[in-house]
Amino acid sequence: MGFFDFIRGLFKRNKKVSIGLYGHPNSGKTTLANQIAKDWMGKDMGSISNVPHETRNVLKQEKVVIKEGDRELDFDIIDTPGIATKVDYQNFLEFGLEEDEAKSRAKEATKGIIEAIKWLDDVTGVLLVVDATSDPLTQTNITIIGNLEARKIPFIVVANKIDVPEANPDKITSVFPQHTVVPISALNGDGTDELYKIMVKKFN
Amino acid sequence: MEGLKMDFISSEALENASSMEKIYMIIERVKRGDVVVMEGGLTPSERAELIETTMREIDVENFVGIDVHTLEKDSSSFFGFSKKKTVVITIIGPANVMKTVKKQSNLLSMVADVGNNG
Repeated sequence: MGFFDFIRGLFKRNKKVSIGLYGHPNSGKTTLANQIAKDWMGKDMGSISNVPHETRNVLKQEKVVIKEGDRELDFDIIDTPGIATKVDYQNFLEFGLEEDEAKSRAKEATKGIIEAIKWLDDVTGVLLVVDATSDPLTQTNITIIGNLEARKIPFIVVANKIDVPEANPDKITSVFPQHTVVPISALNGDGTDELYKIMVKKFN
Repeated sequence: MEGLKMDFISSEALENASSMEKIYMIIERVKRGDVVVMEGGLTPSERAELIETTMREIDVENFVGIDVHTLEKDSSSFFGFSKKKTVVITIIGPANVMKTVKKQSNLLSMVADVGNNG
Protein backbone atom coordinates (compact mmCIF):
# COMPACT_ATOMS: atom_id res chain seq x y z
CA MET A 1 0.00 0.00 0.00
CA GLY A 2 1.37 3.39 -1.01
CA PHE A 3 1.54 6.42 1.28
CA PHE A 4 -1.37 8.15 -0.46
CA ASP A 5 -3.51 5.00 -0.28
CA PHE A 6 -2.77 4.89 3.45
CA ILE A 7 -3.82 8.53 3.93
CA ARG A 8 -6.91 8.02 1.76
CA GLY A 9 -7.73 4.92 3.79
CA LEU A 10 -7.64 6.94 7.03
CA PHE A 11 -10.29 9.32 5.71
CA LYS A 12 -12.43 6.60 4.20
CA ARG A 13 -12.26 4.19 7.11
CA ASN A 14 -15.79 4.94 8.29
CA LYS A 15 -17.34 5.33 4.86
CA LYS A 16 -19.41 2.35 3.84
CA VAL A 17 -19.20 1.46 0.16
CA SER A 18 -22.60 0.48 -1.30
CA ILE A 19 -22.55 -0.46 -4.95
CA GLY A 20 -25.92 -0.44 -6.69
CA LEU A 21 -26.66 -2.57 -9.74
CA TYR A 22 -28.93 -0.52 -11.97
CA GLY A 23 -30.42 -0.94 -15.43
CA HIS A 24 -33.41 -2.10 -17.43
CA PRO A 25 -35.44 -5.15 -16.45
CA ASN A 26 -33.76 -8.30 -17.85
CA SER A 27 -30.40 -6.63 -18.45
CA GLY A 28 -28.78 -9.21 -16.16
CA LYS A 29 -28.33 -7.33 -12.88
CA THR A 30 -29.18 -10.27 -10.62
CA THR A 31 -27.12 -12.65 -12.77
CA LEU A 32 -24.16 -10.30 -12.24
CA ALA A 33 -24.92 -9.91 -8.51
CA ASN A 34 -24.97 -13.72 -8.27
CA GLN A 35 -21.68 -13.97 -10.20
CA ILE A 36 -20.00 -11.47 -7.85
CA ALA A 37 -21.42 -13.18 -4.74
CA LYS A 38 -20.40 -16.60 -6.10
CA ASP A 39 -16.86 -15.47 -6.98
CA TRP A 40 -16.17 -13.74 -3.66
CA MET A 41 -18.53 -15.38 -1.14
CA GLY A 42 -19.30 -18.75 -2.69
CA LYS A 43 -23.09 -18.26 -2.86
CA ASP A 44 -25.95 -16.79 -4.95
CA MET A 45 -27.93 -13.66 -4.07
CA GLY A 46 -31.28 -13.83 -5.84
CA SER A 47 -33.44 -15.78 -8.25
CA ILE A 48 -33.31 -15.11 -11.99
CA SER A 49 -35.80 -15.77 -14.79
CA ASN A 50 -36.60 -14.71 -18.35
CA VAL A 51 -39.81 -13.00 -17.20
CA PRO A 52 -39.12 -9.26 -16.83
CA HIS A 53 -39.26 -7.74 -13.33
CA GLU A 54 -38.15 -10.96 -11.58
CA THR A 55 -36.43 -8.75 -8.96
CA ARG A 56 -39.15 -6.55 -7.47
CA ASN A 57 -37.49 -5.70 -4.17
CA VAL A 58 -33.99 -4.43 -3.51
CA LEU A 59 -31.68 -7.34 -2.61
CA LYS A 60 -28.73 -6.59 -0.38
CA GLN A 61 -25.57 -8.57 0.24
CA GLU A 62 -23.33 -7.09 2.92
CA LYS A 63 -19.57 -7.35 3.33
CA VAL A 64 -18.38 -8.54 -0.07
CA VAL A 65 -14.60 -8.23 -0.40
CA ILE A 66 -12.92 -8.19 -3.82
CA LYS A 67 -9.16 -8.65 -3.65
CA GLU A 68 -6.95 -7.30 -6.43
CA GLY A 69 -3.23 -7.71 -5.74
CA ASP A 70 -2.52 -5.83 -2.51
CA ARG A 71 -5.71 -3.77 -2.76
CA GLU A 72 -9.20 -4.73 -1.80
CA LEU A 73 -12.72 -3.38 -2.10
CA ASP A 74 -15.03 -4.01 0.84
CA PHE A 75 -18.63 -3.24 -0.10
CA ASP A 76 -22.32 -4.08 0.03
CA ILE A 77 -24.08 -5.16 -3.19
CA ILE A 78 -27.43 -3.45 -3.72
CA ASP A 79 -29.24 -5.33 -6.49
CA THR A 80 -32.11 -3.08 -7.56
CA PRO A 81 -35.28 -3.88 -9.55
CA GLY A 82 -35.05 -2.94 -13.23
CA ILE A 83 -36.11 0.61 -14.02
CA ALA A 84 -38.71 1.20 -16.75
CA THR A 85 -41.13 3.96 -17.74
CA LYS A 86 -43.98 1.49 -18.27
CA VAL A 87 -45.22 -1.74 -16.72
CA ASP A 88 -47.93 -3.55 -18.67
CA TYR A 89 -49.23 -6.74 -17.05
CA GLN A 90 -50.21 -8.06 -20.49
CA ASN A 91 -46.52 -8.49 -21.34
CA PHE A 92 -46.24 -11.07 -18.54
CA LEU A 93 -49.09 -13.13 -20.00
CA GLU A 94 -46.79 -13.98 -22.93
CA PHE A 95 -44.56 -15.79 -20.45
CA GLY A 96 -47.42 -18.02 -19.33
CA LEU A 97 -48.43 -16.16 -16.17
CA GLU A 98 -52.10 -16.19 -15.13
CA GLU A 99 -53.87 -12.80 -15.33
CA ASP A 100 -54.09 -12.30 -11.54
CA GLU A 101 -50.44 -13.27 -11.11
CA ALA A 102 -49.43 -10.91 -13.96
CA LYS A 103 -51.38 -8.00 -12.44
CA SER A 104 -49.88 -8.52 -9.03
CA ARG A 105 -46.38 -8.79 -10.57
CA ALA A 106 -47.03 -5.47 -12.37
CA LYS A 107 -48.08 -3.75 -9.13
CA GLU A 108 -45.03 -5.06 -7.30
CA ALA A 109 -42.80 -3.99 -10.21
CA THR A 110 -44.02 -0.37 -9.99
CA LYS A 111 -43.16 -0.29 -6.27
CA GLY A 112 -39.78 -1.87 -7.02
CA ILE A 113 -38.96 0.85 -9.56
CA ILE A 114 -39.75 3.57 -6.99
CA GLU A 115 -37.54 1.77 -4.46
CA ALA A 116 -34.68 1.52 -6.99
CA ILE A 117 -34.85 5.28 -7.68
CA LYS A 118 -34.92 6.08 -3.93
CA TRP A 119 -31.75 3.99 -3.46
CA LEU A 120 -29.85 6.44 -5.70
CA ASP A 121 -29.65 8.62 -2.56
CA ASP A 122 -27.76 5.91 -0.68
CA VAL A 123 -25.41 4.17 -3.11
CA THR A 124 -21.78 5.29 -3.29
CA GLY A 125 -21.06 3.64 -6.66
CA VAL A 126 -23.07 2.05 -9.46
CA LEU A 127 -22.70 -0.72 -12.01
CA LEU A 128 -25.05 0.29 -14.83
CA VAL A 129 -25.86 -3.04 -16.46
CA VAL A 130 -26.72 -2.63 -20.15
CA ASP A 131 -27.92 -5.46 -22.39
CA ALA A 132 -25.39 -5.47 -25.26
CA THR A 133 -27.93 -7.10 -27.58
CA SER A 134 -30.25 -4.06 -27.54
CA ASP A 135 -30.12 -0.31 -28.16
CA PRO A 136 -28.30 1.28 -25.18
CA LEU A 137 -29.55 4.81 -25.84
CA THR A 138 -32.78 4.53 -23.89
CA GLN A 139 -34.53 7.04 -21.63
CA THR A 140 -33.92 4.73 -18.66
CA ASN A 141 -30.14 4.58 -19.23
CA ILE A 142 -29.98 8.33 -19.97
CA THR A 143 -31.98 9.08 -16.80
CA ILE A 144 -29.79 6.85 -14.63
CA ILE A 145 -26.54 8.28 -16.06
CA GLY A 146 -27.83 11.88 -15.78
CA ASN A 147 -28.69 11.35 -12.11
CA LEU A 148 -25.35 9.67 -11.33
CA GLU A 149 -23.46 12.53 -12.98
CA ALA A 150 -25.55 15.17 -11.17
CA ARG A 151 -24.91 13.43 -7.81
CA LYS A 152 -21.22 12.77 -8.65
CA ILE A 153 -21.62 9.03 -8.01
CA PRO A 154 -18.86 7.04 -9.76
CA PHE A 155 -20.16 4.36 -12.11
CA ILE A 156 -19.11 1.72 -14.62
CA VAL A 157 -21.20 0.83 -17.67
CA VAL A 158 -21.30 -2.97 -17.82
CA ALA A 159 -21.99 -4.20 -21.36
CA ASN A 160 -23.58 -7.53 -20.47
CA LYS A 161 -24.58 -10.63 -22.48
CA ILE A 162 -21.46 -10.76 -24.69
CA ASP A 163 -22.01 -14.54 -24.82
CA VAL A 164 -25.03 -13.90 -27.09
CA PRO A 165 -24.03 -13.80 -30.81
CA GLU A 166 -26.04 -10.59 -31.50
CA ALA A 167 -24.26 -8.68 -28.72
CA ASN A 168 -22.60 -5.45 -29.81
CA PRO A 169 -20.63 -4.02 -26.86
CA ASP A 170 -18.79 -1.62 -29.23
CA LYS A 171 -22.07 0.21 -29.80
CA ILE A 172 -22.30 0.85 -26.05
CA THR A 173 -18.73 2.21 -26.03
CA SER A 174 -19.55 4.45 -28.99
CA VAL A 175 -22.68 5.96 -27.43
CA PHE A 176 -21.05 6.48 -24.02
CA PRO A 177 -17.50 7.48 -25.05
CA GLN A 178 -16.88 9.54 -21.91
CA HIS A 179 -17.65 6.63 -19.55
CA THR A 180 -15.85 3.41 -18.60
CA VAL A 181 -17.49 0.52 -20.47
CA VAL A 182 -16.60 -3.08 -19.56
CA PRO A 183 -17.90 -5.94 -21.76
CA ILE A 184 -18.82 -9.06 -19.78
CA SER A 185 -20.99 -12.12 -19.69
CA ALA A 186 -22.54 -12.30 -16.23
CA LEU A 187 -23.82 -15.73 -17.24
CA ASN A 188 -20.46 -17.43 -17.82
CA GLY A 189 -18.14 -14.95 -16.09
CA ASP A 190 -16.27 -13.75 -19.22
CA GLY A 191 -14.74 -10.32 -18.63
CA THR A 192 -15.54 -10.25 -14.90
CA ASP A 193 -11.83 -10.31 -13.90
CA GLU A 194 -11.37 -7.02 -15.76
CA LEU A 195 -14.57 -5.67 -14.17
CA TYR A 196 -13.31 -6.53 -10.66
CA LYS A 197 -9.99 -4.76 -11.38
CA ILE A 198 -11.80 -1.61 -12.48
CA MET A 199 -14.24 -1.76 -9.55
CA VAL A 200 -11.37 -1.86 -7.03
CA LYS A 201 -9.79 1.16 -8.74
CA LYS A 202 -12.96 3.18 -9.27
CA PHE A 203 -14.96 2.56 -6.07
CA ASN A 204 -12.18 2.76 -3.48
CA MET B 1 -62.50 7.17 -35.11
CA GLU B 2 -61.15 8.59 -31.90
CA GLY B 3 -58.59 11.35 -32.35
CA LEU B 4 -55.21 11.92 -30.76
CA LYS B 5 -54.69 15.18 -28.88
CA MET B 6 -51.18 16.61 -28.92
CA ASP B 7 -50.15 19.51 -26.69
CA PHE B 8 -47.14 21.57 -27.78
CA ILE B 9 -45.63 23.45 -24.86
CA SER B 10 -43.04 26.17 -25.29
CA SER B 11 -40.01 26.49 -22.99
CA GLU B 12 -41.30 29.93 -21.95
CA ALA B 13 -44.49 28.36 -20.63
CA LEU B 14 -42.40 26.10 -18.38
CA GLU B 15 -39.62 28.41 -17.23
CA ASN B 16 -41.39 29.54 -14.07
CA ALA B 17 -42.94 26.18 -13.26
CA SER B 18 -41.52 24.12 -10.39
CA SER B 19 -40.37 20.56 -11.10
CA MET B 20 -43.51 19.07 -9.57
CA GLU B 21 -45.74 21.45 -11.54
CA LYS B 22 -44.03 20.34 -14.75
CA ILE B 23 -44.34 16.66 -13.85
CA TYR B 24 -48.02 16.83 -12.91
CA MET B 25 -48.76 18.93 -15.99
CA ILE B 26 -47.24 16.10 -18.08
CA ILE B 27 -48.75 13.17 -16.16
CA GLU B 28 -52.28 14.59 -16.07
CA ARG B 29 -52.28 15.07 -19.84
CA VAL B 30 -50.68 11.70 -20.60
CA LYS B 31 -53.11 9.87 -18.30
CA ARG B 32 -55.96 11.39 -20.37
CA GLY B 33 -54.35 9.81 -23.46
CA ASP B 34 -52.73 13.00 -24.80
CA VAL B 35 -49.21 13.32 -26.18
CA VAL B 36 -47.10 16.17 -24.81
CA VAL B 37 -44.45 17.78 -27.02
CA MET B 38 -42.20 20.05 -24.98
CA GLU B 39 -39.61 22.50 -26.18
CA GLY B 40 -36.40 21.60 -24.30
CA GLY B 41 -35.87 18.81 -21.81
CA LEU B 42 -36.22 17.87 -18.17
CA THR B 43 -33.32 17.83 -15.70
CA PRO B 44 -32.02 14.40 -14.59
CA SER B 45 -33.78 14.71 -11.23
CA GLU B 46 -37.03 15.73 -12.96
CA ARG B 47 -36.74 12.68 -15.25
CA ALA B 48 -36.28 10.41 -12.21
CA GLU B 49 -39.23 12.13 -10.49
CA LEU B 50 -41.31 11.67 -13.66
CA ILE B 51 -40.62 7.90 -13.61
CA GLU B 52 -41.45 7.72 -9.88
CA THR B 53 -44.70 9.64 -10.33
CA THR B 54 -45.63 7.51 -13.35
CA MET B 55 -45.13 4.35 -11.26
CA ARG B 56 -47.43 5.73 -8.55
CA GLU B 57 -50.09 6.59 -11.15
CA ILE B 58 -50.01 3.27 -13.03
CA ASP B 59 -53.31 1.49 -12.89
CA VAL B 60 -52.93 -1.94 -14.46
CA GLU B 61 -56.19 -1.68 -16.41
CA ASN B 62 -56.10 1.84 -17.89
CA PHE B 63 -52.68 3.49 -17.58
CA VAL B 64 -49.60 1.34 -18.11
CA GLY B 65 -46.99 4.08 -18.13
CA ILE B 66 -45.28 6.48 -20.46
CA ASP B 67 -42.93 6.54 -23.40
CA VAL B 68 -40.43 9.37 -23.57
CA HIS B 69 -38.43 10.34 -26.64
CA THR B 70 -36.08 13.24 -27.21
CA LEU B 71 -34.39 15.00 -30.09
CA GLU B 72 -30.99 16.44 -29.26
CA LYS B 73 -28.50 18.74 -30.88
CA ASP B 74 -24.76 18.99 -30.37
CA SER B 75 -23.64 22.03 -28.47
CA SER B 76 -19.97 22.85 -27.98
CA SER B 77 -18.49 24.24 -24.80
CA PHE B 78 -17.07 27.79 -24.75
CA PHE B 79 -13.62 26.69 -25.92
CA GLY B 80 -15.05 24.09 -28.26
CA PHE B 81 -13.11 21.27 -26.60
CA SER B 82 -16.04 19.15 -25.54
CA LYS B 83 -19.32 18.45 -27.28
CA LYS B 84 -22.46 18.00 -25.28
CA LYS B 85 -25.93 16.92 -26.35
CA THR B 86 -28.72 19.35 -25.55
CA VAL B 87 -32.33 18.21 -25.66
CA VAL B 88 -34.38 20.44 -27.95
CA ILE B 89 -37.67 18.53 -28.04
CA THR B 90 -39.16 16.05 -25.56
CA ILE B 91 -42.15 13.91 -26.51
CA ILE B 92 -44.03 12.12 -23.76
CA GLY B 93 -47.09 9.99 -24.38
CA PRO B 94 -49.04 7.04 -23.01
CA ALA B 95 -47.06 3.81 -23.56
CA ASN B 96 -50.09 2.04 -25.04
CA VAL B 97 -50.59 4.83 -27.62
CA MET B 98 -47.00 5.46 -28.80
CA LYS B 99 -46.56 2.28 -30.75
CA THR B 100 -43.71 2.77 -33.18
CA VAL B 101 -40.98 5.28 -32.77
CA LYS B 102 -38.11 5.46 -35.22
CA LYS B 103 -35.25 7.69 -34.34
CA GLN B 104 -32.44 8.99 -36.49
CA SER B 105 -30.01 11.73 -35.56
CA ASN B 106 -32.34 14.60 -36.52
CA LEU B 107 -35.65 12.92 -37.23
CA LEU B 108 -38.14 11.24 -34.95
CA SER B 109 -41.15 9.41 -36.43
CA MET B 110 -43.98 8.24 -34.28
CA VAL B 111 -46.99 6.09 -35.08
CA ALA B 112 -49.80 6.38 -32.56
CA ASP B 113 -52.37 3.66 -31.94
CA VAL B 114 -55.46 5.80 -31.33
CA GLY B 115 -57.61 2.71 -30.87
CA ASN B 116 -55.94 2.27 -27.46
CA ASN B 117 -56.34 5.89 -26.51
CA GLY B 118 -58.07 6.35 -23.16
